[in-house]
Amino acid sequence: MKKLLTIILLFFTITTYSQCVSNQSFTLVPGGPYQPGDVVTVTYTLGNFTGININWIHAFQINLGVGWTNLTPITAPGNPIGSTGSWVWDLQNTFPGGFNFGPGWRFENAGNVDWGTSSTGPFTMSFQVTVNQTCTPDDLDISMEVFDDCVTGGWSNGNCCNDPAFQIYNGTVQIVIPTTANINHY
Amino acid sequence: MKKLLTALCVLIGLTTYGQTTINPDTVCVNSVGEQYFVTNTAGSTYQWTITGGGGSLQTGQGTNSITVDWGGASGLFPNAVEVIETNASNCPGAPVLLDVFILELIGTTIGPFCPGDPTTPLVGTPAGGTWSGTGVVANSFQPSVGVGNYVLTYTMAGCSTTINVVVNNGPVTGPIQHY
Repeated sequence: MKKLLTIILLFFTITTYSQCVSNQSFTLVPGGPYQPGDVVTVTYTLGNFTGININWIHAFQINLGVGWTNLTPITAPGNPIGSTGSWVWDLQNTFPGGFNFGPGWRFENAGNVDWGTSSTGPFTMSFQVTVNQTCTPDDLDISMEVFDDCVTGGWSNGNCCNDPAFQIYNGTVQIVIPTTANINHY
Repeated sequence: MKKLLTALCVLIGLTTYGQTTINPDTVCVNSVGEQYFVTNTAGSTYQWTITGGGGSLQTGQGTNSITVDWGGASGLFPNAVEVIETNASNCPGAPVLLDVFILELIGTTIGPFCPGDPTTPLVGTPAGGTWSGTGVVANSFQPSVGVGNYVLTYTMAGCSTTINVVVNNGPVTGPIQHY
């Protein structure tokens, strides 16, 4: 009976932690909806990263809709009790295994650039984006995608390589098209 | 007091912006300095286009109010005035159009008359206008008004044209003599 319970608990645990990321949250200042020229500060926190099978967190990729421009980093993620190294801001980076990443932060492990950090978080970072000048209701989606070193190519024994992107904002540019009244003649 | 102020504001508003032009707009042939406008929006610019009727934009391009000089060709000119507003976000609106009818009045010449001639109807083209001037009664000229040169005016839709009418002296015949 005890063995059966153990097996059931183990199965439940694996099912629950099929994703490595948990406790994600964000703030947007100011809150939407947004018009052309609006500057928005995004703060994102990954509360916990559970690296199944010694799978380490390696990068945070910011996915932006075409309505955004002028992406600017403000604060990089921390690395609490993590590997030696630092978070690096990149607009684009190709990892040694050929995986293309960016824009966002990636961890440069001092010992092996192909690895991430052993830290489990929390990781908090912030950046600024500006709404493009446009006359069409362009996409303003913002999402954060967390990549582990099984994705980036440094580790082949990962078990949560398909963490879904975390939606931060879903909307379109609030455009104002002028409505001109009739022409008058004095 | 508050009601009086409100009434004044409404009156001023009607005077300044309350005019609504019926499409097509009617202007006189060869008229100059005709002013067209749309309600202004802060931060917007306005691109005007004048086509047909020999019209040419004189002042105000970029603003919500322009002046136009019209040419000598009469008739209806569809979409003769066009404006496109672009707001502060550099987004253009839909074109707003106005047809223009250029009106040319013609008065048919009459006379010369003698004072005893009968009353003669005055004819203007297009019909429907009003004649005015010395000797004119109910759109007809009465030579009995007396000897002289008269300028008669034909008016319609704010346009006008004139003709000159002459009433000459009749022969002055003396009394019949008997030799």
